[in-house]
Amino acid sequence: MTKILCVAEKPSIAKAVANHLGGSVPARNVPSLRWLKNYVFNYNFGPWGPCEVTFTSVAGHVIEHDFGGRYSNWQTCQPSELFDAPIEVQIKGDKKSIAQNIEQQARYCNILYIWTDCDREGENIGAEIRNIALKVNSRMTVKRAMFNNIERAHIVQAANNPIEIDELQSDAVAARMELDLRVGAAFTRYLTLNLRPLIQAVDDSIKVISYGSCQFPTLGFVVDRYFRVQNFIPETFWAIKVMQVKDDVKVAFNWKRVHLFDRMTVTILYERCLAARTARITKVQKRPTSKWRPLPLTTVELQKNGSRFLRMDSQTVMKIAEDLYTKGWISYPRTETDQFDKGMDLMGLVRKQTQDANWGPFAQRLADGGFQWPRSGRNNDKAHPPIHPVNYVLPSSLSDTDRRVYEFVVRRFLACCAEDAKGELSTVEMQYGSEVFTASGLLVLERNYLDVYPYDKWESSQQLPVFQVDEYFVPTEAKMTEGKTAPPGYLTEPELIALMDANGIGTDATMAEHIAKIKERQYVVTRKRAGRAAAAGDGDNDDTTTTTATRGRGRGRGGRGGGGGGGSTRTSSGGGSGVDEFIPTTLGMALIVGYENLAFETSLSKPFLRKEVSRIQTKRPHTPLRSLQRFG
Amino acid sequence: MPPPLSTDLTAYLNSKSLTPTTAWLSTFLSTQRPNIPPAALRQTALFRLLASNITETLQPGPGSVFPRDIHDAAVPERRLQGPVVVQVVDVADIGRSRWAQVEALEALERGEGVRGREIVRVVPGETDGEGGEERWKGPHKLTLQDARGMCVYGVEVEGIEGVGMGMAMGVKMVLKDIVVARGVILLDPRGAAMLGGRMEGLHKVWKEDLKERLKGETQRGGD
Repeated sequence: MTKILCVAEKPSIAKAVANHLGGSVPARNVPSLRWLKNYVFNYNFGPWGPCEVTFTSVAGHVIEHDFGGRYSNWQTCQPSELFDAPIEVQIKGDKKSIAQNIEQQARYCNILYIWTDCDREGENIGAEIRNIALKVNSRMTVKRAMFNNIERAHIVQAANNPIEIDELQSDAVAARMELDLRVGAAFTRYLTLNLRPLIQAVDDSIKVISYGSCQFPTLGFVVDRYFRVQNFIPETFWAIKVMQVKDDVKVAFNWKRVHLFDRMTVTILYERCLAARTARITKVQKRPTSKWRPLPLTTVELQKNGSRFLRMDSQTVMKIAEDLYTKGWISYPRTETDQFDKGMDLMGLVRKQTQDANWGPFAQRLADGGFQWPRSGRNNDKAHPPIHPVNYVLPSSLSDTDRRVYEFVVRRFLACCAEDAKGELSTVEMQYGSEVFTASGLLVLERNYLDVYPYDKWESSQQLPVFQVDEYFVPTEAKMTEGKTAPPGYLTEPELIALMDANGIGTDATMAEHIAKIKERQYVVTRKRAGRAAAAGDGDNDDTTTTTATRGRGRGRGGRGGGGGGGSTRTSSGGGSGVDEFIPTTLGMALIVGYENLAFETSLSKPFLRKEVSRIQTKRPHTPLRSLQRFG
Repeated sequence: MPPPLSTDLTAYLNSKSLTPTTAWLSTFLSTQRPNIPPAALRQTALFRLLASNITETLQPGPGSVFPRDIHDAAVPERRLQGPVVVQVVDVADIGRSRWAQVEALEALERGEGVRGREIVRVVPGETDGEGGEERWKGPHKLTLQDARGMCVYGVEVEGIEGVGMGMAMGVKMVLKDIVVARGVILLDPRGAAMLGGRMEGLHKVWKEDLKERLKGETQRGGD
């Protein structure tokens, strides 16, 4: 019988897939590593017929890249030498046993079947596994499975349709890792060696002052906003407000110019309104309007909404989502795709949710004919569908935080499959002197998706009385008012994620880590935003038009472990609740200001360089060299 | 020969509401080659005049300058028949806070622009360097100077093509049948038209000082 070795990216996936394919398979312990298990069973793979299967896993990257010899010591080489010092490939600690396990199994197998996650990072991990296996058994056939959730039918489908490893994607990751290592290590050592004596005199808890090509632009956003808040100077503006009582309704008319920053001008215009005495209705309009249901859920949206509605920081949300995915409740949570493939059985997924006590009835309504195919966004990473529930789980069986994330994913999905909310918008336009004023009223007619998606708010406003075109009246009240501009708020986590996303800093998968890193390094501190609307955008009430965020994509994605600094102690900064705002520490500010003052042609604390590196990171051979010249 | 040529030229310039002084006209004509075609001569004269300082080159006539009491704030409304040719010596965007304008100018100095949420690097010359579409926001408050040197505020009550923070200082406008309220001219496209031109020296200084001036005004407020 053909012998086949399957390797997943993490133990939980190995366990889940093995159980789908082999029934309940007992786990065999691997000597010397307690948590590593092999699952042995028989399975009939489409292309290969009946096979004897050993299913095992790694735990992320197996191979480490680091400087060797004198370059590994901070004291025995110049940081600048690290740009072209040789990089050694090492397998360290736990990873040795993992690699040994693969070697051991590979000796007896004909086929290596890789089950790492289907993203760039997974591709690279797959290539590492392949290299380890081929070293002991060069005759093996190597294939990989294409899957993006661990629902049974999907896994069976994937198992029978093996594909090839994508070398380009794997190489792209290798290039990025090399760059991050060289740049991160060189700058980190340089900074630490030069600044540590100074800084430890003030605060000896700071051991390392790291530079990371993603960390710094991330910190840069925080510092930029901080200075904007600090430097802000409030200014007075003036406005004209008109109120007309009709049919016992007080109708507030807003000035089309909103407000002006010149008192003389407003005074003159106001006087001319009063002098004109009568106002005339110039336009009465009633038109259907709708509030669009949300787009299918991407990782970045999940993280932003996590901070906003679920009161969790992005790292916590991702950990939970990861966990829900591993348990088979939701699809793979790292995705840029906001469009569902036309072939997907979304109705089937909706039906699974009909049993829930809260959103079940809504799901039932969709199943009974209310279903609408979701809107399509503009992004498709060609690897994973948008995040959606795969199976129903009783919310009460989940922990509180898991439940909140699962509920959000489900509600978002059902909202996507429902109809837009419908309403009617009435607007009245009035000419008064030389000035134009408008009043509007919204009547919500059908709530539709809003019924299952409490995260969006859309309420009827006060209804306008009936006005006729060319109706003349002397307004009940016309006032000249005065106000002041307010500073923007400090940067919040959803805003920071949006900035990183728009500027190509980190990937949807690593953004949370970069944010955690600048906290850990004591470059920024967070505190709860007090007394402001959580979702407030820029806060600068100068700007009354809200720009819809266009998502500047067009960059590749990487995965875990990107943007390395010098040392890489991974910490989980405790998941807070409430919207955090970021304030740079003195150290954080000093670093950014310092780097800015270097006045390099391409700033190292602005997003441009990183964006460029991510953009050209398509083929490995050229990348490190060209990029290094940029840092050179 | 000179008389018909200068008559032709004067008629042409007058049709644009421009009334150059005889001194300017004769200096101009004396510097031109004699065999130049009349059409080219007209264009050159117009170009030179629009680039000049009208307080030195235009002949103030009774209807072609501001009335001496135009600043009288006790007059709620009066009409200015004109045509009055003026040059713009200052412009301010009163629709945006000065601080927001300072921030935008500083970002531009650092070579950054903002596209949606994306911070983009702006390479000088790639855009026209004046801040793109921002330049037409407003309304704008202009300082208008007539041939006699008198300055009056003009507020852009309706948008006028060519008025904005990107406009050249010293650009000429002609005002006809326009409302003056409390000593301020209310500009709209029916009563105010662009003639074009610029005063290079004035524009340079104005542009260089813009940021510092905005900063200073920010502290003082919009009063």
